[in-house]
Order: sequence, then structure tokens, then C-alpha cells
Amino acid sequence: MATAAAATHTPRVLAIDAGGTMTDTFIVDEAGGFVVGKAQTTPQDESIALMQSAEDALRQWELTIDGAFPGIRSGVFSGTAMLNRLLSRKGLDVGVIVTAGQEDSLQMERGIQTYLGYSYADRLHIATHHHNDPLVPRERVAGVRGRIDLFGAEVLPLREEDVREAARALLDAGVQGICVSLLFSYRNPAHEARVREILEEEKAARSLNGDVPLFISSELYPSRRDFPRLNTTVIEAYAAEPSRQTLRAVRDKTKAGGAGFELRVMASHGGTISIDAEQLATTLVSGPIGGVVGARWLADQIGLNSVLCTDIGGTSFDIALLVDKKYDVTSTPDVARFLLNMPLVQMDSVGAGCGSFVRIDPNARRPEIGPDSAGASIGTAWPEGGIKTVSITDLNLVLGRLNPDYFLGGQVTLDVERARAEVKRQIADPLRLGIEEAASGTIELFEAQLRNEAVGRILAKGYSPADFTLLCYGGGGPLHVAGYTEGIPYQQVLIPEWAAGFSAFGCACAEFEYRFDRQVDLPLLPTQSDEERAQMVQLVSQTWRALEERVRGEFQKSGEDPDKVTFTHMVRMQYYGQLVDIEVDSPRADLSTAEDAQALCDAFETTYQRMYARAASSPELGYLVAQAIVKGSTPVEQPQLPVLESEQGTPPVKETRQVWWTDGYVETAIYEMTDVRPGHGLEGPAILEAESTTFPIPPNRRARLDERGIFHLENKEA
Amino acid sequence: MATIDATRQLEDRPAPIGWDGKKLSQMLDRSEQLFDETGYYHGLSELAMKESDPLHFEKLFSRVRGGMVSARETALNISASPIVRELGEICFALYTPEGDNVALSTGIIVHVHTMSEAIKYMVRNGWEDNPGIQPGDIFANNQPTIGNVHNADVQTFVPIFVDGELIAWAGGVIHVMDIGATTPGGVCVAPTTRFDDGIDLHCMKIGEHDELAQWHLKRVSMQSRAPGLYVLDERTRLAGCHLIRDSVERLVLEEGVDEFKQFMREAIEDGRRSFKSRVRELLIPGRYRSAGFTEARYADKTEMPKRARRDQIMHGAYEAVVDADGRWTTDLRGSSAWGWHSFNATPAAQQGMQWILFTQTLICNDKINDGAFYATELKLTPGTWADLGDAPCSSSFPWMPMFTTSTGYLRAISRALQSRGYVEEIVGTYTVSGNVAQGGGIDQYGQISGFMNFEIGAQGQGGKYVLDGLDYGAAVFNPEGDMGDIEMWELVKPMIYLSRQIKPYTGGPGRHRGGSSFESVFLVHGTPDFEVENIGTGGMFTSPGLFGGYPGAQAYVHNIYDSDVYEQAAAGNAYPVADVSGEELALNAFGGEHVVKQDPYTLMQAMKQGDIYLSSGRGGGGLGDPLLRSDEAIDADVAGGHMQADWAQRAYGREDRDKARAERLIRARPASEWWAEQRERILAGDLIDPVKTMFAESMRLEPDWAAEYRGFWDLPEDFEFEAVTPTVVAQASEPGKIAPADSVGRFLATAEAHRPEGEDEVPIASDMTKELLADLVDEKLSRRVVHDIQSGHKDRDRFDTWVALLQEGVDYDDPIVLPYGEGLNIVRRQEDGELVIRTDAGADLCRWDENWKMHAAVFVRDTDELYQEIYPPLAHPEGAWMELREYYCPISGHLLETEAVPPGYPVVHEYLPDLEGFYGGWLGREIP
Repeated sequence: MATAAAATHTPRVLAIDAGGTMTDTFIVDEAGGFVVGKAQTTPQDESIALMQSAEDALRQWELTIDGAFPGIRSGVFSGTAMLNRLLSRKGLDVGVIVTAGQEDSLQMERGIQTYLGYSYADRLHIATHHHNDPLVPRERVAGVRGRIDLFGAEVLPLREEDVREAARALLDAGVQGICVSLLFSYRNPAHEARVREILEEEKAARSLNGDVPLFISSELYPSRRDFPRLNTTVIEAYAAEPSRQTLRAVRDKTKAGGAGFELRVMASHGGTISIDAEQLATTLVSGPIGGVVGARWLADQIGLNSVLCTDIGGTSFDIALLVDKKYDVTSTPDVARFLLNMPLVQMDSVGAGCGSFVRIDPNARRPEIGPDSAGASIGTAWPEGGIKTVSITDLNLVLGRLNPDYFLGGQVTLDVERARAEVKRQIADPLRLGIEEAASGTIELFEAQLRNEAVGRILAKGYSPADFTLLCYGGGGPLHVAGYTEGIPYQQVLIPEWAAGFSAFGCACAEFEYRFDRQVDLPLLPTQSDEERAQMVQLVSQTWRALEERVRGEFQKSGEDPDKVTFTHMVRMQYYGQLVDIEVDSPRADLSTAEDAQALCDAFETTYQRMYARAASSPELGYLVAQAIVKGSTPVEQPQLPVLESEQGTPPVKETRQVWWTDGYVETAIYEMTDVRPGHGLEGPAILEAESTTFPIPPNRRARLDERGIFHLENKEA
Repeated sequence: MATIDATRQLEDRPAPIGWDGKKLSQMLDRSEQLFDETGYYHGLSELAMKESDPLHFEKLFSRVRGGMVSARETALNISASPIVRELGEICFALYTPEGDNVALSTGIIVHVHTMSEAIKYMVRNGWEDNPGIQPGDIFANNQPTIGNVHNADVQTFVPIFVDGELIAWAGGVIHVMDIGATTPGGVCVAPTTRFDDGIDLHCMKIGEHDELAQWHLKRVSMQSRAPGLYVLDERTRLAGCHLIRDSVERLVLEEGVDEFKQFMREAIEDGRRSFKSRVRELLIPGRYRSAGFTEARYADKTEMPKRARRDQIMHGAYEAVVDADGRWTTDLRGSSAWGWHSFNATPAAQQGMQWILFTQTLICNDKINDGAFYATELKLTPGTWADLGDAPCSSSFPWMPMFTTSTGYLRAISRALQSRGYVEEIVGTYTVSGNVAQGGGIDQYGQISGFMNFEIGAQGQGGKYVLDGLDYGAAVFNPEGDMGDIEMWELVKPMIYLSRQIKPYTGGPGRHRGGSSFESVFLVHGTPDFEVENIGTGGMFTSPGLFGGYPGAQAYVHNIYDSDVYEQAAAGNAYPVADVSGEELALNAFGGEHVVKQDPYTLMQAMKQGDIYLSSGRGGGGLGDPLLRSDEAIDADVAGGHMQADWAQRAYGREDRDKARAERLIRARPASEWWAEQRERILAGDLIDPVKTMFAESMRLEPDWAAEYRGFWDLPEDFEFEAVTPTVVAQASEPGKIAPADSVGRFLATAEAHRPEGEDEVPIASDMTKELLADLVDEKLSRRVVHDIQSGHKDRDRFDTWVALLQEGVDYDDPIVLPYGEGLNIVRRQEDGELVIRTDAGADLCRWDENWKMHAAVFVRDTDELYQEIYPPLAHPEGAWMELREYYCPISGHLLETEAVPPGYPVVHEYLPDLEGFYGGWLGREIP
């Protein structure tokens, strides 16, 4: 990609994925060509790595920051700083006001938070369950008397003395922000609004008007479920607010570099938002979302309807489904052992990555993979890492599939003999197998697990893999893609050349988009009259109009023209009495009649059957429109897929080496991935090596690179 | 007049649906015969498939199990019940044609074997011929005597056919919100007979051609108070079973049917071997004993049928034997009689309890299946509450007494783990999950409904050896516990939360505190007609302490009728929202009629708008002598709301701990002296009637238990309690007497040293050193490191590391032979070569095989005054029902063990290790 002359490139889109270890930069030029830059992440100041990574990318086009930044129109950032702040409990000193009687909520959490993110075994293993350290200590949580019920009616009035007392105590304690989350405030925000007024008064009395920001749950995240709402509101204050400062520093750095663009951040719903957005906590998880967004963009560009997205890194295997070019969005995800109340692109993460540990259960004498992994320490093959347990990487190494001298582009040298000795001792001997048999068998088991997880997502929804294209990305994706697609009749198996930087790429593809949800709980029942049903959907429409205003307001903050916003109208809906709602695109942007109501119900039925294809639908129960949702976006510069010239032939063979495939060593040709030209076909066995990834093609498969820079992995018989 | 002149031709019976042309019943008979003859599941002495290609075998297992998990995850979204959705009370599993479990999802693992019994029931009773088992059929069961815990757990079964052969069964189970019993909810306590227990599905065929029968849907909609939820739950189970069927069909298509059949059987035999191997890895062969108690106070309940109006105690006798081969036998013989109440259990329920405890402790991995069932045995006496036999009593809520008996599993496992040095795995006992708020009436939407408040799924757990007990986190019946969102619970019942907060002083004091529970206070609101009951608010301790920790506190009822909450709120008063402490009840600030009492079951009480209902939880038992708790930990308890400062002072003797220890010894007496006094009391019959009746029931039902009872107290061979036992056929017990030493001798005579085959070591990468172990015990390790140690494979030489570490910490040179609790070791006394039980302070209490408690200093709390030195009012039992015995080291005053039992109960000989079996058998070396 980086071969053409410098003069031809005018960078237009900059996307940065600041991961835990590496910061990837993805820069797109006018013609849609792109370069990927890398730098080691600098957790103390992410802007340093950002600039280094951007320099690294631009260097490939023989450009500099000063030369390139002024021309860039769109900049998107995704990082892990906010998540790290949360995990390491290094957030702001926040005060919290809750309904009286709920003061212990953050201590008690929900029981589920004692085992969230655990493996199957540890979910059962009671001795391992533990509560998380609360983000806010109990002494900084105050309760105020007063109750609103589920219908939004006031059962007990707000006791204002409680609020004043709480305000004074928290301000005396020197809190840096105050969160307010009262029961059923999503239904009726009156008490929270009054609490806000009193807090403002108390702040004014201390001349604190500009300081101690307030975070009101009914304003920020007005959805049902008190504990996730409290968590999300607290995280907004505790982790997102300080990250806003960090992001502003990053923006200032880019501005100083001459950037004329507004830095945006990848948010959990799959769009990008300004760093000044009110719901900044939605950017808590961004990198993995970038991958799915990139996949959707790619699907759109090359005309794929149904895509299974698979992303393998060192620690996990993330799976997402695109059906009709759409991903599902969950409204109560969990992140870092916190239940949250925000829309998150539906992804399933399996604790198996290419650095996962492999152990033999001494009682059952069977291999166990993960759930923990060697992470940055690679495995036993890298003595400096101090790892004593065999990892999947060690197994790949002893089979010759990884090149010990070209791991991470040769940054570290791996010790094959050490890995062999450990694989023998820890895996092969207990299984009573030879080293290679044990290693390849264990990798097959690992890949079979990934294969089952992946195909299971499709089957659980009643589809067939033959309807889906599997897209593989992530640094470890190409290494195992042949294994985890083996024998499954996917329509196609695609691996973009830029698989290792795909998340950053996805960020570059993302729309500038705000999304707001509001709980409405409006029933549409068989017993209602047409007028009643019409009234209900009119209320949905009214809520959409209000949310549209909120979206416009956010765009205005970034200087965007509110009239250029394109809106999408959605609801979360369920059978009446059910507890789980699903997201449904409304067929109409304005609902006013009983017929509109029916159209909405029909859309729900279609979506429901798509999600739970095998379950009986239950229209006799009636429906509940739980939430009204509006998404609004404005156009941004996006990458274009280049169409490159095809040429016949094969790339030059870099070297050959002995590689163990299924049942013996085979002399295998090794290629440098950047030598592969569009149109080249490669017959397995072969291995493509790049600095960031390795792509083995087993004997029964072949790969060809198309004119868009995407590898197609095919069966030889086909 | 027409005559019938021909006999109608009967239709041919369909061909058998079992494997190889056999009927299912023939398959089951053969399977049982093979196991009896060989000791291997299906006679599989070799695991041919696993041995020839272990990795392929694993691939199959991971695929089958993945199918269960994904069925559960997908299906549970269909349900509308918070019990399913918020608490995850749903489980799916795969069974062989004979009904043996191959794999299951997470969820209510209790049902791994209950559903097995239900399938076997269909097989044994010829369901194959009548009503017939066809592809597309749907069967439902919830009958506890067939294979279930109680009616509220409803099971669905779908047969999986390939080419006309039934190759497996898919099963799913959900705990439903309302089961249509005579009172609302899922765990009804007013029913006294099985005719009151609600919807009864006797392995019924409730659908064909993959469709639920209309008659069934109409019928259950009529019979449940929550029909919408019930029907969606039905569809949830069916959808999950169909997902499993799909995944099995695909697997068979790819692997071949013979391969799949072989795989299922080997997976079960593999599970059986793994279980025994795990037992040998972690435990000590020997005999473990304990006892659990719950009471029902129905004497004054005029709403109950006359024969049910008794005050009674359910005695759960518990013995576990781990034999030299690693087989586990649970023995509940000696338990008291069934009764006209809903706390009667079936063998399937007892199996369920056994599995939930094993899967949380010993075998928490994804290889759980009925293989483990074949490595265990359960001994029950029909006619007891623990096995109701053919009694027509209710079994709506057997969990209550089972919870208390189940503490025996955890105590046994914990003692063995402490001996082995796997201290990171030691967890104390769970408590009874309560207060269950359950009821029904007209809800806030104007509909008739029933509800059960399952927030009790997150209770405090017993103190651990490393770290305090888990606070408000899990329940015995589901380690994946949760309390759900308030805003979700308020959708299903017309009761508004005034609070949900940590209840101080629920966890028992100890070196490590028991986990705290919480209280919820509800305001009844928005209903014209509603009734609610309190369940689990009794006065007997249910979560005993371990190694000297005190039991977790008890709960109580505090309901307020006609409260003035609306008036107080309108006036702007600072009204209370929680009761907080049992000492001064904060809710007393409300006007109205207050009902405050310790009563395990209030039965349904009409409540109306403005009434207030307290749901008070109870915590886990403590672990270790409370005087060893650090000041920092006590301060954190007070700051965190787990205890009030004044009670912390008392329970932990904080001012002067040496003085506290010295005072213990001043008040305590030699156990022998106390024993002699108690013996006189028993002979004089100086016990309350419910206690005497309980003893009489156990003695009349189980002669061995009676004989040991007489032996312990040295009573006449024909000693009998004067008591009426209306549900026991025998009106007198058989004479007999077994002295404690004879009981020990009997057990040791059956023990044998035996080194099982195939015990060659698998190398384990472990960093465990004596120093690291010391840091683990001293809690210097991060949460992350502790978790890694817990989740990793165990270092095989931990026992030696542990003994060496303990040896460094004691003042004597005699070698420690077996760690025997906190501050106790079995030691080889060099001067005479005897094996003795010695305290850390150097007191040799007795020979290794004697009950050391009988040689300690004992102090008994049996009055309010003595109890309230430790516990607030309403947090402890009445002394006449249950006393708390404390056993101290006679030299140091170290509290070595506590025992909470009714007066007159024998001192339990909790732990009798099989030293020879352990050393000679499992370790393969001489006892030092």
C-alpha cells in the first residue's frame, strides 16, 4: 500500500487506536489509499504515542505531521485510557446522591458483578467470587427520601432537607463532581430535577458554579434498571470526565500540529462523537467496536449482506454478526465487571486468544486452553517474559508456523528449543503423544473451540453459515483463520491485508453520529382501541422529536450545521410482560395512526424472529414500546477502497522451511506479505509473513489477493 | 339388537426406539447391570476413544457443552420472568437414552441429576409403548417424587431421534414464578399434602410435532397465578431443547452416529473417573459428621389443618464417608420424620443438593455430568423429611431443611482441604436464603398475580480461610447469585422498596467474618387486595461457624400494619427506611400495628396500601476464633456497615483480648463435667417437646442412630424419649447401644489403604512455595494472584509444604502428622510414639481417633443473656431450641470450634480421618 510516490498523497482521514500495548494509526488519502503506523502506547500521555504513530505512518508516504495535518478533514480516536482509569481505580473523587435506602448500592453491587467476565469453571467456583472495590466510598454516598413509582407517580415526596444536607456534606468533603440517580427517574425526572436545583443553589452559595459538575441520570442515561444506570452515571463522572481532559490535550496536540479537524471519539453504539459530548462514558469501549464498524463499512462497499466478524488478539476472540448489513445493539452491556446502561454493539468475547495458556488437567488428563493468557509476555519461547506455562504461540512455534526470527517483525527473538522442551514436558508427555502431534492437536482443539463459538452464533439465530461471509481480522486472526473456518461452508472467507490494523481502520469508517435513548414504556395491546394505539405511537413520535433536538444540540457544539443531520428512528420493544427488549428500526419517522402502530409491531415481529428464529412468537401478549431511540449523523470524510491493478503470477519465495501441518513436516514456501500483488494466487502449503501478523495457508487451502487488498481463503477442491 | 361379532384388531406396537433394536428399558437394565458387575459406567474399563485420540474427544466435548451454554443464553431472552432473566434460574442438559447426563449448561446445576431421574422414570415405566415416544414429542415433569426438587422447577424433555433411533434427550428446567399451589408463589409453605402443591406434570406428553398442545397451554394458564410468565417460560424451555436437538443432529451428521454414541458413554465414564481423582487430589479419606436444624412453628397457626399445628424441628443428620478409592458416600439416615408441612424432600432433591455443592467446590469445571453421580452414593431412610418415601405430604419447599443439612458438605470438604493445605479453597457454610417475600393478589396493574422475591439469590456466604465470606453474593442453590434490579422487581409486585441495604451483624463473627446479607423494606402500594408471607425468619442458626467462628445471625419478622408512612413523608419527617439493627428497631418510629417476632413462616397475611414489610436476610458463619480478627478488619466492618461499633467491641473482645481469653477459661468447664450434667437432664426429660419429639423421631426411624445416641450419653439400652411421633409408624425405637469408641472402631475396620491405579503424575507448572503459601494465608497477595492460585491446577506437594509451614509456627518439635483444624494438629508424640490431637498451645487433648471436643474446655450459651454477649436481640435462637457450645483450648482459651445444636444433642465427632488410608494409600508412604 505504501509504495507509490509521496507527491500523490493528500491525507484526509486520520484514525488512531491506542491499544494497551500498541497505538495504531490509520491514515487515508484522497484516493482512498492508506498507510498504517505503529508506536508503543504511552499510557501516561496518549498524545505522545499518537503523534509518534502518526509520524510512523506519514513517513511511509514521506510526509510529516506539519505537512499533512492541515489537510486532514477527519480525525477519530479510540483508546483504552478511560477503561484503564476505571480498572486501576484512578478516577475523580465523586459524590453520589441516591434514593434513601440505596446508599449501599455501590458496595452491594449486583451479585452478578462478583463473577462477571469469569470462565465457565469460575462462575461455578464460589471461592473465587468477589466484590469489586467500589468507585465511590460509602461515606460519599448520600440518600434522599422520596419515591417515584414505576408509573412515574410520586409515592412519597422528595424531602428537600435531605438534599441540602447531602449537598453540604458532599461539598464539604471536597468532591470533584456529584452524581444523582434516583429510582424511576427515567420515568419521572421531577425529583432529580429538584435535586439538581438544590445542588446548584448550594454550589452557588459557595461560589462553585463553574466547578463540581453535576451528573443527573435522567438527563444522561434515562433508561430503566437502577443499578446499571447508577453505574453508568458514576462512570461518566469518575472516569469519563477526567478522560475528557486527556482527550482535550490530545486535541490540542493535533491542533498544534496544524490540524484543522475536530477530534472525534469512537463510541459504543458504533458512531463517533465529539470529545465534548455529554455521554462521554459511551466511549469506554471503542477499539473492538471499530472492528465491527469497519466490517460493516467493508460489507457495504463490496456488497455483502451477512457477515460474521471475527477478531483475534492475544487474549480474546471477539465475534459479531452483521445481518442485512446491521449489527445488533445491546442496551445493558457489561464492561470491566460493571453492568452498564448504554447502547453497545453486540459482541461476544471468548477468553481464547493466540497467547492463551495451555495446561493439562491433572485429573481428567485433558488439555485446557485459557482463560488466562501470556499477554505481552508471549510464552515459554521468550525467556525474558518470565512465563513458565505453555501458550498457543509456543505451539505455533514448535510446528514451524511462526518464524522465531520474525516475530513482531523481529523485535523479539524466540527460543524454539525452550518452547519444544516445555511443550514436551507440559503437554505432550502427559497426553502420551509426540511433541508435534500434541501441539497440532491442541491447536486443532483451540481452533475447533473458536469454530464452534463462531458458527454457533449463526446457528443459534436459525441461519446457515452458507449465508455468511466470514471476515477475519486482528493481529492473531490470519494465524488461525484457516483452522477456525475448516470444514464450515461459509460463503467466503476474507482477510483484509490490513487485518492487524483493522480496528483503527474501522474508526476511520465510522459516522459522526449521536444516539439518544429514552424509556417510554408505552403498551400496544390487542385490547386497545385504534385511537388508543394511535395515541401511544404519537407519544413515541413526540419523544423522537425531543431526542432529535438533543442530537442537534450536540452537533451544534461541534460547529456542525444542525440542518444537515440525517436521523434514524428506532425503538426498543418487547412482548408485553417480557423483560428483554430488542432494538427495532421504525419503518416510519413519524407515527400517528393505528396503522403506523401496526407497522411498528410488524417490524418488531420481523426483528424478533430474526433474533430468536426458533422461538415461538407470542403476539397474543401484545407489545410494549420500552424505549424511543434517535440516531443522527452528519457526513464525514471516509476511506475509499482502492481498486488496484491485478497481475498474474505469484510473489517471490522468501525462504522455505519445515512446517508441521496435520500429520507430518512439509517443506513450505514462505512469502513476505507485502510482496503479494492483487491477482496473485498462493497454493497451500504456504506461509505469508508480515511485521504485524502471520498467515499460514494449509495444504488443502489456497489464497488469492483481490484488487481491493483482501485475501480470499478458499478450499483447493472448490 | 346388534351383536359384536369380531374382536377388533389391535394395532401393532411400534418397533423399539432404543439402540440396536432394543427397548429403552432394556438399555437401562443393561447399563445398570454393567455398572454393578464392573464398577465402570457401561462397563467401560477402557476409554478407547479418549485414549486413541484425546484431543478429538475434547473437541467433541467442547462442542456438546457449547451447545448447552448457547441454548441457555439464547433461550433465556424469551422468558419474561425476572427469576429467569435476572437470576438465571434456568438450565439445559443433554442425556443418554437411558437418562444419564452427558453435559449441561450453567444455571441451576441442581438439576443435573433430577432430570436424569425423570427420564429414567419414563424409561422404566414403559413410556416408550404408552404414551409412546416419537420425534417431535414434548414431555414435561415437575413431580419431586419422580425426579425434581419441588413443583416450581418445571422440566421439559425433547427426544432426539436419528434414523428412527432415540439417540439422546434434551432437557431444560426453569424455576417458575407461581406454580398454582394453594398459596401463591413458587416455594409455598402453607401446603401440607402433595395435593396442595399446585400444577402437577407427571412426565406428561404436552406436545407433538414440536408444538405445545393447546390443552396444556390452556390448562396451565388456568392453574398458575402468573400465566403469561408460565407460558413464556414453557416456550423458553422448548426453544432451548430444540436448539440442543439441532446441535446434536449436526454433530451426528458430521461425526457419525456410532462415534457420537461412544462419545456420550465415554464422557460419562470419564466424568466418573475425574470425580474420584479430584477427591483424591483435594480431600482426606475418612468420616465426616455434622448436623443441621430448622424449625416450623405451627402450633399457633389456626389457618393450618389441625394435624399440622405443631411446633417441630427438622433434624438433618449428616455423615460423609470418603473411601480409599475416592468414592463419596453421603448418609442422611438419622434425620427426623416427615411432617404435614412443605419441608419434605425426595431422593432426587437430595441428589440435587449434593450436585450443587460439589460443582461449586470440588468439580467446578465444564466436565460436569452424571459420571460424578456414579462415583457417589446417597443413603437415606424413607419416612424421614430427607426422604419422604411414600408419604402423601407436601414437598413444596424442601430447600429449607436441606439448606441446613447441606452445611455438612461444606464443613466436610473444608476440613479436608485444611488438612491438605488447599486453604484458598476453604469456604464456610451458606445460610438459608431468606427472608423470602412471597405472595399474590391484585397487582398494580389490576391483574391477579403471584410473585416470589428472588433477590434472596444473593446472600452472605460463610467465612473463608483466606478472606472474609462473600457478602450478598450467592445462594446455596445457585453460585451465580444475583439480587436483580429494584426497578425490575417493582414491575412484578405492588410493593415499593423503601430500602435495600446491608444488614449489620448478619455475618457471624470470626477471624474471618461470615458474609453479610441485606435487608429490604417494602411499602405495599397500589393494590386493593394483597397477601404476603415471611419465609426464613426463624430462630435457629442455619449457617454454623467453622474452626471457632460463630454462626451467622438469624432473621426476624417486622411487619407494620396501618403505618403512617404517607403522613410522615407529607409532614417532611425524617422517617426511617430500614430497621438496621435487632437491638433498637429503627422502623419502630412508624405508627401502626407492629408485628415483631422470630417465626420461620408467617403464612399469608393480608396486607394493604401503606403496610410495611421487612425482608431481613441472614449472613454466613464466621471462620476461626473471633479474638484473632485484626483491628483493621474490625474497623473496616464498622465503616462498611457490617457491624455496629458497640457490638464489634463485644464480639471481638477488642479492649483486651488476653483478658477475654482468660475469662473464657474461668467460665468454661471440662467437657466431661458438663457431659455428666447434661446426661442427667436427658434422663429427666428436661427438654422442650419439639426437641424431644425430634430425638424420638430420629431414634424410632433409625436404630443405629438411636444406639449411638444412647452410647454417647451412656443411657440404658432401651432408653426412649416420651414423645408422640404422629408420622412415624414405629411407636418405639429398637433397643441398642453403641459407645463412641465402638462407632470409631467400626468405621476404621472398614477403611483400607489402597493406591488406585493410574496415579502417575501429570507435571504441573506451579510457583507455590512455602513462602508464597505463607503469604497466601497471611493475605499478602493481591486478589488477582489469589484468583490465579484458586483457578489453576493444584500443586501436588502442597500437603508437605503446608505441614512444613505449620511446623515452623508451633513451639513443639513433635512432627505434625495431619493438620486438623485451626490451632489443632494430629501430632506424633515422640516420647511415647502416640498419635495425639494437640492444640497450638501444647495441650494434648486425646488420641487421634477420639472426639477431641470431649477433652476441651466447654462453655454453653443457652440464655438470652449469654447469647446477647455476642448477638443482638432477634439475631440468635432461644436457648431451649438451640444452644451454642464453645470448645476452647484448656491452656490458651483459643476458641477451637463452635457447635449450634438443640440441648441434648450429642457432641458431634466431626472429623475422623483415615490416616492409614491417606498415608499408606494415597501418599504411598508410612505415617511419620
